[in-house]
Amino acid sequence: MDKEQLSAAEYLRLRRWERLVYRISKFFTSIPGRTKSFFLKLKNALGSFFRALWANLVEIWTTFREGSWQTRVSFLVMGFGSLAHGQIVRGLAFLLLESAFIFYMIFCGAYWLGKFGTLGTVETIQVRDPETGIMVTQYGDNSFKILLYGLITLFFIVAFLYTWRLNVKQNHIIDGILASGKKLKSNKDDLHSLVDDSFHKSLLSLPVFGIVMFTVLPIIFMILVAFTNYDATNDGRFNLFRWVGLENFGRLFSFGESGITVAFGEILAWTLIWAFFATFTNYFLGMFVAMMINKKGIKIKKVWRTLLVLTIAVPQFISLLYISNLFAENGIVNATLMSWKWIKEPIKFWGDGMLAKVMVIVINIWVGIPYLMLITTGILMNIPQDLYESARIDGANVFQQYCKITLPYMLFVTGPYLLNSFISNINNFNVIYLLTGGRPWEPAWMVNGTPAGKTSILITWLFGMTSDSGDYKTASVIGILIFAVCAILSLIVFTVMPSNRREDDYS
Amino acid sequence: MATVTLTNVKKIYGKSTVAVHDFNLEIADKEFIVFVGPSGCGKSTTLRMIAGLEEISEGTIEIDGRVVNDLQPKDRDIAMVFQNYALYPNLTVFENMAFPLRLKKTPARLSQDEIYRRVTEAAETLGITDYLLRRPRELSGGQRQRVAIGRAMVRDSKVFLMDEPLSNLDAKLRNQMRAEIILLRKKINTTFIYVTHDQTEAMTLGDRIVVMKDGFIRQVGTPTEVFDMPEDLFVAEFIGAPKMNTFRTRLDCDEEGYFVTTCGVRMRVDGEKGELLKARETQPQDIILGVRPEHITLTKRSDPSAIPCSIEVTEMMGSELHLHVKAETGEGLIVRIPTVSFTAAQLAMLTAGTKIFVTFRGKVMHFFDAEEVNLLRKLPAPAEETDLPQPEEANEQQEAETAQASD
Amino acid sequence: MTEDERIFEFDAEESIAGGEFDLEPAPLPPVEEPALIRAQTAYGEDKGSRRNSSVRVRSRIVNTIIHIVLAVLCTVWILPFVGILLESFRCESPGLAGYLIPKQWGFDNYVRLFTETQFPRWFLQTFLMGLVTAVVQTAFVLAVSYALSRHRFRGRRLLMNLMLIFGMFPGFLTLILLRTLMQDWGLADANAPFGLAIIYCASSGMGYYIAKGFFDTIPRSLDEAARVDGASRMQIFFKLILPLSKPIIIYTVLMAFMAPWGDFVMARFMANNNDAGYNVAAGLQWLISETKVDTNYTTFCAGGVVVALPITILFMCLQKYYVAGVTGGAVKG
Repeated sequence: MDKEQLSAAEYLRLRRWERLVYRISKFFTSIPGRTKSFFLKLKNALGSFFRALWANLVEIWTTFREGSWQTRVSFLVMGFGSLAHGQIVRGLAFLLLESAFIFYMIFCGAYWLGKFGTLGTVETIQVRDPETGIMVTQYGDNSFKILLYGLITLFFIVAFLYTWRLNVKQNHIIDGILASGKKLKSNKDDLHSLVDDSFHKSLLSLPVFGIVMFTVLPIIFMILVAFTNYDATNDGRFNLFRWVGLENFGRLFSFGESGITVAFGEILAWTLIWAFFATFTNYFLGMFVAMMINKKGIKIKKVWRTLLVLTIAVPQFISLLYISNLFAENGIVNATLMSWKWIKEPIKFWGDGMLAKVMVIVINIWVGIPYLMLITTGILMNIPQDLYESARIDGANVFQQYCKITLPYMLFVTGPYLLNSFISNINNFNVIYLLTGGRPWEPAWMVNGTPAGKTSILITWLFGMTSDSGDYKTASVIGILIFAVCAILSLIVFTVMPSNRREDDYS
Repeated sequence: MATVTLTNVKKIYGKSTVAVHDFNLEIADKEFIVFVGPSGCGKSTTLRMIAGLEEISEGTIEIDGRVVNDLQPKDRDIAMVFQNYALYPNLTVFENMAFPLRLKKTPARLSQDEIYRRVTEAAETLGITDYLLRRPRELSGGQRQRVAIGRAMVRDSKVFLMDEPLSNLDAKLRNQMRAEIILLRKKINTTFIYVTHDQTEAMTLGDRIVVMKDGFIRQVGTPTEVFDMPEDLFVAEFIGAPKMNTFRTRLDCDEEGYFVTTCGVRMRVDGEKGELLKARETQPQDIILGVRPEHITLTKRSDPSAIPCSIEVTEMMGSELHLHVKAETGEGLIVRIPTVSFTAAQLAMLTAGTKIFVTFRGKVMHFFDAEEVNLLRKLPAPAEETDLPQPEEANEQQEAETAQASD
Repeated sequence: MTEDERIFEFDAEESIAGGEFDLEPAPLPPVEEPALIRAQTAYGEDKGSRRNSSVRVRSRIVNTIIHIVLAVLCTVWILPFVGILLESFRCESPGLAGYLIPKQWGFDNYVRLFTETQFPRWFLQTFLMGLVTAVVQTAFVLAVSYALSRHRFRGRRLLMNLMLIFGMFPGFLTLILLRTLMQDWGLADANAPFGLAIIYCASSGMGYYIAKGFFDTIPRSLDEAARVDGASRMQIFFKLILPLSKPIIIYTVLMAFMAPWGDFVMARFMANNNDAGYNVAAGLQWLISETKVDTNYTTFCAGGVVVALPITILFMCLQKYYVAGVTGGAVKG
């Protein structure tokens, strides 16, 4: 196919397969353009970031140069300008933050930050107590704590710089308002705005603080761990750990003794295959079940639905553990089949790699159909009935109606959901872990004592590393890679998908 | 109870999207002013800036002499009725109407009795006393609209803002509510600012109309002024239904006076318009000639200014008949004739394909120059004789409105 | 007012309508016999009735097949639960058995569950965690969703994008750090439920998506009307938005309450092999870990029934809110 743009009339004259070829070639030829525009956007974003940074610096400088003496004092004593102009609440808030920060830095922060570069130098040693003659442990540095509190200190420094900037800005605004002869906001206004215009600050402060301390901080900590040799042996307490640069990532791409490339590649491949099948089998079968239940003339719709929904209500660890044992070598399924003389010896459902993979996908269908049934039922009911009526008048049969109306509508509406569910299947820990735990094991994939098997996906592998063998450094690397896979996937999907869903369309 | 003054008001979205350009307007106390224009013309944005729901990018807005730019909506002493009513679904009608009163803390918190008195009073005025204990979803569209108006009424605020309040109602109810708003206005007697895209509403409700397009004010004037002397072609075409007929032609002059050539027929510009052209010493030039459909009449073949044409489509509206006709020279035009002036036999013959003769007089012509500006528009300083009210046309326009109301 | 007295005199010449005028009627078009149309109608009617009956028969067959398929499907879906229930009453052997119907019925397994294992403790811990999480998580989620849905502040997009990005990291990696922290504070191991509750609650603001989608559907003009009426943002939130958000509040509470019952990853990790700190999920899973399955299997089933029953009943009662939440979430993406 030529790569030129066809006119509507030319396109319509093509035969069906030619259209397909044309569209596929269009897709591929558009990739360079899209990629280019992506990088252009990135460049623009970076550019505007640095411009904003520069503008900030300039504003700080002009604030200082043109500001009143109160403003200049505020550069050192935060909140002074506000206090001097009677904005006690703001002023005190700034002043308190500054004193707290200085206090922290002097008494803890400086210590942790100083050790952050080496993650500790004083080893924990066993020494003989000179008086009693008994061996006692003399604790040295704790790399783990150094890493953690160093990181927290860095957080505080960033937060302080931001607050300082706010303080300068505040003075800038005060100077501006005073210069224009208007009145400053009173303390009462400030407090009132916390329930009105700035109500979002009140609402967000606690949840965001929680997220920063319990998600952001740990994740950054974990990213840093990927650059150390932290594991069960080098636990930081009895044996220091240290920065090792990219060594952990290097092992991921080396085939040698310590390399884990093969295991990683195989597990990643199965993870993606698993996510693909888990997403799409559920999607189509769930939609199919929903359509069956919704069909005109089907009785006791509610009963069917409720029976299926029951599976969502029961915690997965109960149902999946039960099913896992159902298919065990001495489980009910094998016993029954044997008593019926269909098989002579038990089928090793979890013992054979291929069979286990199929089983996992099939049982995941059992898990997933009820969800999809619920979701698609709602959407199916939203499809305007007159579309079907007009299709019937035009002579379309059931299958054509499905292909031309139901499926496009569903795909359009649930596009982002599909992406989400693909990503959550990559991280679908429960099904794999509760059914097989990754078995059957593959001895060659053993990494630092963490077993991996034919049905292991990245996330269960990662779990093994953290919870069983304490191989934290490799776990961190795997975690980062899982993130990378998810992020790249979403990025691709969002650039390929037409951006026709804007948030404000709904509001 | 208050004047509203907008000085150089501008609204800029993002970095460069200008929604309202340099809006200047003085709204008198107790005036009913209507912002009208096609969607996206900035009328709602202007109203929302007055309400305090949108920030004012530039300029100042004063209510009762006080600059309100930095004030919260609640501190501006305004009441507002929204297009989709914006009734609180979880509250009863009574609670909906009491809501603003319960929140009122300045100068003092209102007593329970006072709230009850005010709400029931407003409910009585609007005829919704029976529904006070219902919830909004149990009401019909018209009733909801009344509740929304009631909620605004109880506040006794200085300015009453209405953002397309009737556009969610069906045609019949809309006409009824329009009449009620006129009555209501007499009762509450405060400053009204009313936004609509419907020129009929604008004409019937407004003391003055502000016609807007693309963020610019195109004309400010009384309904009669806007109808009789539109400042430019846009206003001329926007106000009045069906749309004004326009012809590209030339304004010429001989010793007898001015004339135009339309559809191959030379027509004298007689009457006041001709005199006005003469008084202004207008030069012959290419113009756009505008004639309203209701100003075109059927005539005899022998009339020297008869334009021969054939009917393409007829639209029977009951009290009037719209004829879409095509002149022999190819121009299409719309003629609007009152059915009452014709016999049944005559009307029966006015069907597609019939050949008829139409004409119009000089006094109904509108002349727009190459920039689409009305040649005869009111000049800033003198020339006061131009905006004398023209009783026949006003009357006739009223007739047109009632005709529309009944369809 | 003298409006009534005003009289306008009309000059007949000036009057626009009526008067005399000429016209030339158009020639009449020839009238065609609508024979074809009639023939088609007859054909349609004739054929239609016969086809209708065959269509009806076919659709009845299809419907019967679908009913059978649905019955089979539902059996397959229910079977495991029936199995668990039956096995929980089996008294003759505690391990796996090759049959479904117990040979000896009894409550032995339940008795054993409550007397010989830590199950009552696990159950209580899980229940309390569920309550705390339900309250705090709902508050956090609603606060974040409302702020993101209604306020347009600087950094809003950035905040949402950051939450999206951080949400893509596998969650339990953070546990490496959090467990050590909680151990330092004495909130892990046997006290794991306390630490867990904190962890569940702290980051729960990230699950704002569905509730925000719901808030987005509440018309913005309600807020605006309330602002004109004199309400502050906080009053709008508490007096208008929350009363309108019953479905999403129930959904959030339900989800938050149910989460600790099914979570065994975090629970096991935080308890760090100290079975006093388990929740029901970790505890029951531990009961049938590889070495113990032969002695504890039926006890596990009994535990499963005890856990699943209240949860399922609760869930079924609030099912419609769950469906609304899940569907809304999927459509919003």
